[in-house]
Parts: sequence; structure tokens; C-alpha cells
Amino acid sequence: MEKVQIPVVAQPKPLQLNDTRVFVVNKDNYEEFVKEFTATYGELAFVALSMKDYQNLALNIADIKRYLEQQKEIILYYEKAVTEEPKEKEDD
Amino acid sequence: MIKLYGIIILVAVLGGVGYGAKYYYDTTQNTIAQLRENNAQLEVAVDTAQNSVETLQGDMKKLATLNKGLQEDLQKAEAYGDELRQKLSKLDLVVEALKNSKSLEGKMNGATANLWRDFMGDTGGNAERPLPNWLLESKARTDSQDSNQSGESSDTSGSTTEATPTE
Repeated sequence: MEKVQIPVVAQPKPLQLNDTRVFVVNKDNYEEFVKEFTATYGELAFVALSMKDYQNLALNIADIKRYLEQQKEIILYYEKAVTEEPKEKEDD
Repeated sequence: MIKLYGIIILVAVLGGVGYGAKYYYDTTQNTIAQLRENNAQLEVAVDTAQNSVETLQGDMKKLATLNKGLQEDLQKAEAYGDELRQKLSKLDLVVEALKNSKSLEGKMNGATANLWRDFMGDTGGNAERPLPNWLLESKARTDSQDSNQSGESSDTSGSTTEATPTE
């Protein structure tokens, strides 16, 4: 029985992610944060997230990570399924 | 004269029998040849069918093994999210932020940096990229602060290289 030969295609370009910095600010360190932030970035303009939203963001990213890993495993599964194994394997 | 007729009839009968025997022999030989040819074709067909069955059985075995591995890998991929949810449910980030904002900040930044590196590693990129200076400085500051604050405690959960944003 002849099998249909499906070529395994190349993987996409790897992710190149930039580091991101989070500041945890409360009423006690707000002044210090303003000083440090302005010294580092020049202007006092920032995006604020509540702890709840930060948690949600972390959980969302964790779910995306889960999906990405599972998708990758499924692709590997199909690649292995369509790849012919060598008839005789060398003994380890 | 009767004798002559008898001989002619006998010869005719013998000829008929001989012809019949020859006809039977030829027909049988042809049938045998046809059957031999059919048998050879059937043997080829049986071999092909046998090979197909073996190929299918091999494929089924291979797919069953692959499927088992896939289910395990899919389950493993759930681990990070489950662990994170578990940790977040145990922690109150607002309380942590009010208690020690720098420590929490270090943990969040460290975990985020590790997460980005995990993503890069998972997609074939460089998972070993050095941490940024601001993170290393922040980690050093937090570590020294932690050791000064709690000499009795050897808790190392303040490490900025933990794998979740909160731990």
C-alpha cells in the first residue's frame, strides 16, 4: 500500500521578545517611585494596572503559553505521524 | 465384408476415444495452466493484502504510541497555568504590595523575564539571553534587603528568577 508523502515544512521564525519592567507602587513608596521613574525615563508618564488586572494579565499569558505549547505538541504529533521511521533502529 | 466393417467401426471408435482423450488432455492442461496462473496472481494479491494489513497494523501501533505521548504532553502544558492559578489563589497581591513592594516587584519582573525566555526557548529562540541590568540590580538589592530584614528566615522565595509573576 502506497502512502501519501507529506513534506514537513519549516518552523516559523522564533520569538524575539523584549524585556518589560513592572513597578509595584503603594502609598508609602509613591514619592520614591516618582523620583526613580523620572530619573530613569525622563518623563512621568506610565501605565498603571490594578493587582487584579495584573493577575488577569498573568493568567491570560499563562493560557496563551498553554495554547502555544499544546499547538506545538500537536504539530509535532502530525510531523511524526507523516514521517517514515527507519526500518531498523540501531540498538542503544 | 462384415469383418471389414467391424474393423472400420473399431478404428473409428478407437479414433474417437483417442481424440476424446487428446481433447480431454489438452483441456485439462489448459485448465491447469489457467489455474496455475490464477494461483500465482492470488499469491501476489495475498502478499499485497498481507503487506497492507501489516502496514496498517504498524501505523495503528505507531499512532497509538504517538497519541499516548501527545496526551501526556498536552497535560504537561497545563502545569504552568495550574501552578500559577494555585499560587495566585493563595496570595493576596495587594497585601504583598503594601508589605514589601520591592520584593514583590523583583519577583514579578524576574518571573516575567523568565516567561519571555521560556517563550523564546519554546519557539526555538535563545532562552539563555542574559537578564537586563536593572533586573539584576533590583534582585541584588532585594536579596540584601531580605537577608537584612529576616536573619532568622531562610526563605528564598524572594528570588527574582521564580517562574511565576507572584512567587
